[in-house]
Amino acid sequence: MDKLMLTKIDRRTFLRNTAAAAGTLSAGGLFLGLGNTATAKADSAFSPNAFLHIAPNGDTTLWCGRCEMGQGISTSLPSAVADELEADWSRVTILQGDADEKYGPQATGGSRSINTMLEPMRQAGAAGREMLVAAAAATWGVPAAECEAKNHFVYHKESDKRLGYGELAATAAEQPVPETPRLKSRDEFRYIGKSLPRHDQGAVVVGERVYGSDVVVPGMKYGAVMHVPVLGGSVKSVDSSGLGDLADRVQVVTIDRLERPYGSLGAVGVVADNTWIAQQALNRLKFEWDRGPHAVYNTDSYKAELVESVEAPGTSVSERGDVDAALESAAVSHAATYVGGHLSHSPMEPMASCVDVGDEHCEVWASTQDPAGIQETLAAFLGREKDDITVHVMAAGGAFGRKFMCDYVHEAAALSQAAGAPVQLTWSREEDTRTGYYHPCNAQHIAGSIDSDGNVSGWLHRAAFPTIASLFDPTNTGPGEREMGDIIRQPLAIANFRAEVGEASAHTRIGWWRAVYNIFFGFAINVFVDELSRKADKDPVEVFRKMYSDYRGEGEENARRALAVLNKAADMGGWGREVPDGHGLGIAVHYSFSSFTAMMVHVEVDGDDIKVHRVDCAVDCGLVLTPDIATAQMEGAVIMGIGLALNTEIRFEDGAVVNSNFHDYPVARIGNTPTEINVEFIGQENTSTGLGEPGVPTFAPALINAIYDASGKRYRSLPIRGSA
Amino acid sequence: MSNTITINGETVTIESDESMPLLWYLRDTLSMKGTKFGCGRGLCGACTVHVDGRAVRSCLTPVSSAFGKSVTTIEGLSEDGSHPLQLAWLKHNVPQCGYCQAGQIMAAADFLSQNPSPTAEEIDSAMSGNICRCGTYVRIRKAVADAADQMEKADG
Repeated sequence: MDKLMLTKIDRRTFLRNTAAAAGTLSAGGLFLGLGNTATAKADSAFSPNAFLHIAPNGDTTLWCGRCEMGQGISTSLPSAVADELEADWSRVTILQGDADEKYGPQATGGSRSINTMLEPMRQAGAAGREMLVAAAAATWGVPAAECEAKNHFVYHKESDKRLGYGELAATAAEQPVPETPRLKSRDEFRYIGKSLPRHDQGAVVVGERVYGSDVVVPGMKYGAVMHVPVLGGSVKSVDSSGLGDLADRVQVVTIDRLERPYGSLGAVGVVADNTWIAQQALNRLKFEWDRGPHAVYNTDSYKAELVESVEAPGTSVSERGDVDAALESAAVSHAATYVGGHLSHSPMEPMASCVDVGDEHCEVWASTQDPAGIQETLAAFLGREKDDITVHVMAAGGAFGRKFMCDYVHEAAALSQAAGAPVQLTWSREEDTRTGYYHPCNAQHIAGSIDSDGNVSGWLHRAAFPTIASLFDPTNTGPGEREMGDIIRQPLAIANFRAEVGEASAHTRIGWWRAVYNIFFGFAINVFVDELSRKADKDPVEVFRKMYSDYRGEGEENARRALAVLNKAADMGGWGREVPDGHGLGIAVHYSFSSFTAMMVHVEVDGDDIKVHRVDCAVDCGLVLTPDIATAQMEGAVIMGIGLALNTEIRFEDGAVVNSNFHDYPVARIGNTPTEINVEFIGQENTSTGLGEPGVPTFAPALINAIYDASGKRYRSLPIRGSA
Repeated sequence: MSNTITINGETVTIESDESMPLLWYLRDTLSMKGTKFGCGRGLCGACTVHVDGRAVRSCLTPVSSAFGKSVTTIEGLSEDGSHPLQLAWLKHNVPQCGYCQAGQIMAAADFLSQNPSPTAEEIDSAMSGNICRCGTYVRIRKAVADAADQMEKADG
C-alpha cells in the first residue's frame, strides 16, 4: 500500500502552496458543458486558495481535488470548506480539479481522502471566512471581533450592518491569509453531519453527468482494443486481410507493452469514426500472440499450491509468546484453511478515457483515481515532462481501485499519437473482465486454541497470496510483514501468536480492490473465531468481547472501538434471538483503514437458495461528514460482499482469464439484495476516518457464519458457488 | 418511415451503418451520452432506452430496427427532470457513481407504465436485468415503489 500511504501534509506548507496557486483558478475546473462560474475578473474576485473562489456577485465555486468515483467525496470535502467558510450551499458550484499539486495529494485510494484532506479543507474554508470578516471590519472601520460571518454574509454584531460575500470579495482578496484560522467547534457546524445530497445527482437522473467515456472534443475519433491475453506476452502478428469493406475506414495500431506498473499489457487497437466500427474491425482481425512465460498459469492448480503452502510451516513475520506450546496444551484447539479467488473490479463504466496527443502538449480526460499517475505514465511513454500532460479528472462510473492504474489512458494516448487526432477509447466489457488488475487469490490456515478460562490462548495465522508489490517488482514472491500488517494489528488479546507467510509469485497483474487484503483477512479471522468458539461451546460474540476487553498495549483504544461496534451490531440485530428453522444469524467485526465495522446477518437457507433477510451494520469512522452518503457506502459494501461471497471469481487457464462478461462473472443483482440493511454510526467523537473500504471485510464472514447457523454447512472457500 | 427515427421528439435520418446498435448511434453519431455502454451483450441494462415506449437494450438493437419508430432516452424522459422516477431517485439519494442509473430509470419507467401498483417481488423481478456495481439496490427498490405511489396519487 506504499503508493497509497500519503504523507500527512504540513498544514502551513499546504496553505502557502494553495495560496500561491490562487489567480490561476479560472482555468482550474472542467465539467464539460456545466460552465465555470469562476470567470469573474481576478481583481474583483476572492480566491485565497486553490479550493474556493467567490465572484463579485457572490457566486461561489469550490474545487474538489480528490477523485470522485461514487463515494461522494466531491460533495463531502467541499461541504467542509463551505461549512467553515459559512457559505450558502445554494450559492455553491462544485468543480473537479485537474491534476495539479495545488490541490494536495489527489491519488484517491486506501480510504484516505477524509483522513488526509478533511483538516486542510476546513483550514481552507476557515481562512476564507476570516479574510471576509477582516474585509468587512476594514470596510466598516470596526474590530474584526465585532463581526460575524453567517451564511454568505458578514454581520456587524453591534449594528444592523451586513455585507454579502460578493460585495466583500475584492476587499477580502487584499487581506493577509491567516496562518492559523480558527476552526469551528462542532456545535457550530452548518453542513458537516447534516446529510447534504450529492451535489451532482440532479445531473445523473437526466443523463447529463459527464464520465470519462462521455467526453466529446472536436475532431475526436473512437478506439477499441484487444489485449495480449497473458501477462508478459506480446503481439506476434496481426492479419488485417479480413477487414473487407472496413479496411479504408479504420486504422490498426499495435500498442507495445509499456514496462511500467500502470502501462498497457500490450494490445492491438483500432481507430475509427465510432466505437461500433472500431469493435467490428477488431473482430475481423486475426491475431497471433506470443503468450510468454505466464501461459502456465491455472488458478485451480495455483490455489491448490497455496493451500499446500499454508498447511505446512512458513516463514514467521511476527511472533509473541509460544504459540506451539499454547496450541498443544489448550483445552480446545482447532485448525482450518480458508481460500479465496481472484476478483475483478468490474465497474459499470469499463476503462475509458479520451487523450489528445499534440506536438508539444498532451491533454487527457479520464475516469481516474490517480491523475498524477497518468501524468507520470504518459510522460514516460511520450518522453515529455509531467507538466506537459494536462489531466482533466472526469466522473468515474465506478472504480473500486481499478482506475488507480491507467493502462487504458496509455492506450488512448498511443492511439491518439498514431491517429494524429484525439481518441476516445472505451474498453469492451470482455477486455475489462479479462485483462484487469485482480484482487489476489489466496489461502490462509489458522490454528487456534481456547484455554479453560475462555481466553483465546494461541493463534497461528499463515497466509499465501500474490501481492500488489509484484506490480512494481515482478520478482516478488509473496507477502511479508507489511502485507500481513492488517492481521497483526487487529487489537485482539491473544497471548501466543505467530503470523507466517508462504511463497506466492504473481502470474497476473495484482491490484488494489476495495478493502484489498482485508477482504480475506477479515473473512478468515471471523469465520475462525466462529468455528473455534462453537467447538469450545462458547458464543463467538463473547469470545470476541473477551479478546477486545483484555487487549493491552499499543492500539488499546482500537480494541475499545472495535468492541463498541461489535456490541452495537449485536444489539441492533438482536444477537441470540430465536429464528425459524432454516434461518441463521452470523456476526463479524473488523478494523481496517483506520475505521471499525461490525455486521450481523440474518439469512435463510433452503437447499441452494440463500436469502439474506437483514444486515445490521455498526460503524465507527469517527465524525461522519455526510451521514447519508456514508450509509450508502455501507449498503454498497454489503452488496459487493454478497457478490464476492456467493458468486464471483476470476479464473485463469493457460495464463488467460476464462470469464468474459456478466453472465460468467455474476455480480450481485437486485434479487440478491437483503430486504433490510440498517446502518448506525457510533464513536462520532473520534477523528474522521475513511469509509470507502472498511465495510467490505465484515459482510462475507458474517454471512458464512449465519449460513452455518442456519444449515450446519461450513463454507471456507469463496465464492461458495463457482462462477466460470 | 423508411430510414428515419424520432429521438426524443426530433426526427433523424440514418444514412449508413444500419446494423450499428442504437447505443452507438446515440452515443457516437449523435453525441447523446446519457445512454451508457456497460456490457454490449444485453446483460447489464446500462444502455436501456425506450422504443415506442417499451424498454430495450440499445446495445443489441440495430438502428434499422427502430426505423419509423419513436425512441426515448434518459435525456427525453421528461422535459425538465420531473418524471416521478427522476424525482424519487433524488428523494432517496439513489445514485452513487450514477453510471447505471439512466438505464435503471428507463427500465423502471417502462415497468411502471405497465404495472402501476407493483409488489416488492414484482419490482425486483422487473429490475433484475439492471446491474448496479455500487450497490444502490435498496434505494432503487424504495424509489420505484415511491414513484409508483406518486403516479397513482397523481392519476387518482
